[in-house]
Amino acid sequence: MTRAYLIRIRNFVILVLLQILIFSNIHLYGYATAYLYLLFLLKLPRHTTRNELLLWGFLTGFIVDIFGNTPGINTAAATFVAFARNYILASFTKKDEADDYIPAASTIGSSGYIGYSLTCIIIFYVALYLLELFTINYPVTLLISVTASSLLTELFILVIECFNRK
Amino acid sequence: MQTLLNFIVKYNHWFLFIILEGISFMLLVRFNNHQGAAFFTAANGMAGDVSSMFMDINTYFGLKSANEELLKQNLEQEKEIISLRMQLARHSNKEALNNDPTFNSSNNEYIFNTANVVNNSFNALNNYIVLDKGTDDGVLPEMGVYNNYGVVGVVYLASERYSLVIPLLNSKSRISCRVGAGNSSCTLQWDGCDIRFSHLIDLPRYAKFEPGDTVRTSGFSSIFPAEIPVGTIENIEDSDDGMFYQAKVRLFNDFASIGSVFVVGNKGHNEQEELEKMIPRK
Repeated sequence: MTRAYLIRIRNFVILVLLQILIFSNIHLYGYATAYLYLLFLLKLPRHTTRNELLLWGFLTGFIVDIFGNTPGINTAAATFVAFARNYILASFTKKDEADDYIPAASTIGSSGYIGYSLTCIIIFYVALYLLELFTINYPVTLLISVTASSLLTELFILVIECFNRK
Repeated sequence: MQTLLNFIVKYNHWFLFIILEGISFMLLVRFNNHQGAAFFTAANGMAGDVSSMFMDINTYFGLKSANEELLKQNLEQEKEIISLRMQLARHSNKEALNNDPTFNSSNNEYIFNTANVVNNSFNALNNYIVLDKGTDDGVLPEMGVYNNYGVVGVVYLASERYSLVIPLLNSKSRISCRVGAGNSSCTLQWDGCDIRFSHLIDLPRYAKFEPGDTVRTSGFSSIFPAEIPVGTIENIEDSDDGMFYQAKVRLFNDFASIGSVFVVGNKGHNEQEELEKMIPRK
């Protein structure tokens, strides 16, 4: 149990550092920015309680916000994803399974994992860009940004998944 | 009472969700005032320390291009020295030199300082840049920031060791510029879309200019000296109400790769502001 928590905290530190020092500085063509720290929320075990999920989401978003000069934007979007995560995960898995596991291609199947991660990411980016622009006057910009960023993040997540496969 | 308690216990995650989102939105809104900006951004001490530590490591990888940039800068300064020498030679009479207003003002009125960028954002509607110099080094709010390509922005807040800059890529940024044959003055403002372009929003109808003309600072705001380059005009169109021209400006600066900058302050800035406050407003 303690070991699982230590690993989780290690992953948290690595992903947040990667995010604030490297990925937050990459803006492909001014539209696509990868928010890889979402992977931490996606990889929390299936039976994590909703309250714990919400607090992790809030914390990761808050730290990324402080270093990215965007107070509130990532916090709100990440909290929202943390809230929706268990519902999305349930819709991509069999409900009657009782055992606890970390969502991965090996545990819920490749298509299940892609669907699950992509849904979470798209929800995150819609929330993020709506809050950032704070207007719906630029629907085309919004659509391009959401699509490009989601695909970029999903690509990174799938690459990491391939390397993690045992 | 019992049912109310049961209800709260059963849906406690909903309440937590609403509370956390509430906090997020509070942060989002509070960012618009001074204290919020100073406390929750990279201008605060700890985040600044981490950023500058990483920047220290990062500068080693950029040494080669930094060298090239320095060489180019040296060349420009060499050119300027030569032109100033020529000017001096022309003013061989000492009295004439003292009486020349342009020469005096360009020498004594501004304080110059150099600084390095430790944190830079350019993907939001309101972007900020953090510099590694603060009030300890004489960097104060309302000072102008530029590099050898052109204007970068204006200092917004300064702590002891760091300062927060509003770059041109911020919807709140307004820079007074002039352009074209008649030196028509106008305001530069960013629309939040493309980081390569900004817009001149209030060019008078009588102004004479065409695509390709260079936009420079006017020097009217007393933040920047006059004649610092900003960009070139890309295309021209009518404003929404037809009273002015609007122009899209291709910025000289690549805001994704700003390294070292000059910070310039006008000694007479406060004096000018005091005077401008005395203008009666109705």
